[in-house]
Amino acid sequence: MDEQLSFEEALNRLEKIVQTLEAGGLTLEEALSLFEEGMHLAKICSERLDTAELKISQLQTAFEEAIENKGESPC
Amino acid sequence: MKIYSVAEVTGYLRELLETDSLLADLWISGEVSNLSESAAGHLYFTLKDEASQLRCVLFRRGRLALPLESGVAVVAHGRISIYEVAGTLQFYVDLVQPEGIGILHLEFERLKAKLEEEGLFDVARKRGLPPFPRRIGVVTSPTGAVFSDIANIISRRYPLVELVLSLTPVQGDGASEGIVQAFEALNETEGIDLVILARGGGSLEELWAFNEERVARAIFSSKAPVISGVGHDTDFTIADFVADLRAPTPSAAAELAVPHRSELESRIQSHRRSLVATLLAEISQRRSGVDYTVSRLKSLSPDVDRYRQHIEELTKLASMRLGSFLAINREKVRSQQMQLSALSPIATLSRGYAQVQHSTTREIVSRIAQVQRGDAIAVRVSDGQFKGKVTGLRKGLQAWMSNFPSKKR
Repeated sequence: MDEQLSFEEALNRLEKIVQTLEAGGLTLEEALSLFEEGMHLAKICSERLDTAELKISQLQTAFEEAIENKGESPC
Repeated sequence: MKIYSVAEVTGYLRELLETDSLLADLWISGEVSNLSESAAGHLYFTLKDEASQLRCVLFRRGRLALPLESGVAVVAHGRISIYEVAGTLQFYVDLVQPEGIGILHLEFERLKAKLEEEGLFDVARKRGLPPFPRRIGVVTSPTGAVFSDIANIISRRYPLVELVLSLTPVQGDGASEGIVQAFEALNETEGIDLVILARGGGSLEELWAFNEERVARAIFSSKAPVISGVGHDTDFTIADFVADLRAPTPSAAAELAVPHRSELESRIQSHRRSLVATLLAEISQRRSGVDYTVSRLKSLSPDVDRYRQHIEELTKLASMRLGSFLAINREKVRSQQMQLSALSPIATLSRGYAQVQHSTTREIVSRIAQVQRGDAIAVRVSDGQFKGKVTGLRKGLQAWMSNFPSKKR
């Protein structure tokens, strides 16, 4: 199973698995393997939420250059 | 020196007037007079004050914010040009507002009407927000608490995000240009899937940049959908109308931008429960499937018994039928045997009749002419035979009847 899945991908896959399981018509082996994958994805989703930290970056705009050059705020 | 034609002069004047930026876009206040309407629906009137007057034409009546009539004080927006055919200076009006409204409001209403007509506010072109944004561009000012508020809210709700800050002044000269550039910078950045345009509260003048046309167009042409969060709940800007989603405040914009982790956690939890529940259901369904099969198997055994019983009944019935068939036929055989024995000569003999055979000719004697006196005969009775000799002859049935003395009359 791919550990590099994004939160969204993992959640989408999880939702699809739940739907597939709920739709039924699977062999017991298929249902079991989907169940295991789903539980694993739920774990990945929870971990992603628990460990994530907001990232902040800043673009170089003309305004920002002006601030740096003048060392003052134009506002 | 040169002598000009009238058309050359009016054409030159028109060019002069139309290249003047002030005359191309201005508001004029005055009183309406000499109002008339052409067959095509164009309105012609004069704007005047104490000192002067100006000829006006309004081609599109749809832009009228009030019923136009002579004597009304109005503020009209449009451009000044020359009507070359008549050689008259004209004010080409595109919007008329009642007198007494501040210039910013007038400008706001004018731009709003114009952009609305162009379709910049169309609900149909509003883009949906990504349910799980990854890189959110934030267009705001480096001063004030707006950005840190947004960062705090998003960090608390859904920290799986990168905020890409694109700074700009948000008020004063250069604010609208800065906002346009901030959007351009975000458009050139990879992977931005949502933009928040935010500014804290302020007066109409302070928020003015968000009512400028180029800001509206920058929002409209942003690659990623835009949430506007400008001022307070009661402030409506042109930016709000163009944005894909209007949030009442910058904080609200941050909340609308991302899902809440507690919602997500309960969603994941409910998925976990569904997984367990459906798997248990799968198992119990199979177990009851097995149970059902077993019970069917069991219920099939009595069936075998039933068939066996049926077969026995059939056998019994068959043998009964066979028995009566045999009895009936045995009876038939017996009656035929009786018929047969009734016809046999032995039965006749046993009733007292005898068979006479001529000993020489071996003929069975049935007529008197077959024998002569003295002939040897063999007489057969029911249980043997004896030999004899014809001692007398008498012809006729009368002679035969006299042999039975008891029946003699």
